[in-house]
Amino acid sequence: MLWVEDLHAGYGTSEVLTGLSIEVKAGSVVALIGANGAGKTTTMRAISGVLRPTRGRVRLDGREVQGMDASRIARLGLAHAPEGRKVFGPLSVEDNLLLGAYTRLPRFFGFRRRAKDDLARVYDLFPRLQDRSRQAAGTLSGGEQQMLAIGRALMARPKIMLLDEPSMGLAPVIVQEVFRTIRRLKESGITLLLVEQFARSALEVADYAYVMERGHIAVEGTPTDLHRDERVLAAYLG
Amino acid sequence: MNLQIIGQMAVSGALMGMVYALIAYGFQLTYATSKSINFGQGELVMVSAFFSLTLLDLGVPFWLMVPGGLVFGALLGLLVERAGVRLALEEKSEGWVLLTIIIGLFFFSAAENIWGRDDRPFPSPFSPDSVQVFGVDITRQEIAVAVGVLAIMGLIEIFKRRTLLGKAFEAVSADRDAAELMGISATRTVMLSYALSGGVAAVAGILVSPITTVGPTMASALILKAFSVAVVAGLDSGFGVVLIGMALGALESLASFYIGSGWREAPGLMLLILALAVRPTGVFGKAGIRKV
Repeated sequence: MLWVEDLHAGYGTSEVLTGLSIEVKAGSVVALIGANGAGKTTTMRAISGVLRPTRGRVRLDGREVQGMDASRIARLGLAHAPEGRKVFGPLSVEDNLLLGAYTRLPRFFGFRRRAKDDLARVYDLFPRLQDRSRQAAGTLSGGEQQMLAIGRALMARPKIMLLDEPSMGLAPVIVQEVFRTIRRLKESGITLLLVEQFARSALEVADYAYVMERGHIAVEGTPTDLHRDERVLAAYLG
Repeated sequence: MNLQIIGQMAVSGALMGMVYALIAYGFQLTYATSKSINFGQGELVMVSAFFSLTLLDLGVPFWLMVPGGLVFGALLGLLVERAGVRLALEEKSEGWVLLTIIIGLFFFSAAENIWGRDDRPFPSPFSPDSVQVFGVDITRQEIAVAVGVLAIMGLIEIFKRRTLLGKAFEAVSADRDAAELMGISATRTVMLSYALSGGVAAVAGILVSPITTVGPTMASALILKAFSVAVVAGLDSGFGVVLIGMALGALESLASFYIGSGWREAPGLMLLILALAVRPTGVFGKAGIRKV
């Protein structure tokens, strides 16, 4: 589904990604773990087009997308729930969700009716969002904003979802809830690339995992493989 | 008697001030999506007014001239975006300030060459007699200004709140990158905002011209006041511009009547200086600081 080869990207003159290659197969959950500053978020941004890669190739569902605008890549079926949620604060929860389905909905009228089933699906997954559907997204708690960011990405019915640090800044109870949600999404057959600082939890849900170090992949394998790797065990799962 | 004159002056000044408000509203539209404004917006008002006058000269009826002028203004807005603003924003530079001023100067020269330097009267479709409201005479054209300004601002606000495209517009204002991730093209949204802003400028020109006449110099007179209104009301305050605009219009009218016609421009300048002194971050700082 997603295939990344020799990806280079950075900010200004400093190169953060130094030739990164990963693959996410359709219907699988892949975790990307690594220390702070290894370049996990930059990887996500370079794949989704928010950051333009300087070199390398990104193939989405058989199509090369590197260098395209993020909006174009989104229209091709990639939904990126970014680090820090990035919900539209002044807009209502429901408007945030509707905008998630922007590419599939009529621009002027009748969009609410057309999005009814998708809204119901997201509200079923996150009942708390329904209670707050008319509230401004900026007034939600951190956990609720994370639910909204995931819900908004689901509204696009994406071919693949990129989920960046969903547990960041959340209380342990809420983190557990987030991972329960990810497990439910996995059961529903979603294709997911997950970046997480809680490597242990991430490996519990992942089918395959990559460990990043200084802008490239240092180790990769199934969670079972990684649990056997002494170096990984010491550095990330200790 | 004296009180009636004050009332008369204040009301017709306030109605005039709604035009400043409409131009300032145009600044807000583009600032929301791109954190940039067209410093040549006054020229856009003027050129659109001249164009609309030419349509009338060619025998186009009033009801068709208004949408014609509006579309023309929107196209000019797109031109400013493409030829100026986008070049600067792609480089993440503040060069749009200079570029939009230069494009404005270009419009100014073009207007002088095409339509001449003289002020020309702009016909009004309304009869010149006025309506009495609480002892104050209001001309039909002045009523048209008030209705026109509120109608176009109202329509754009409804568009922003009720349509998905409008919500996308708001999303780009709130977080450009996140909007892109939803498949919303930020570039196109900025274009839309410049088209709307240009259309709004054209409507301002069409509404104000029957009162002030049309001439190349109307640009600088209007833009300064619109700036004052935008600085005081803020670049993200919606209908706040209407109140500030009306207040400024009323002040101007009273100043020119009681102090002398040469003092007409004084309140706008004083307001601008005062606002910048109280809030030295100025036009751009305010919204920027609030957003962070």
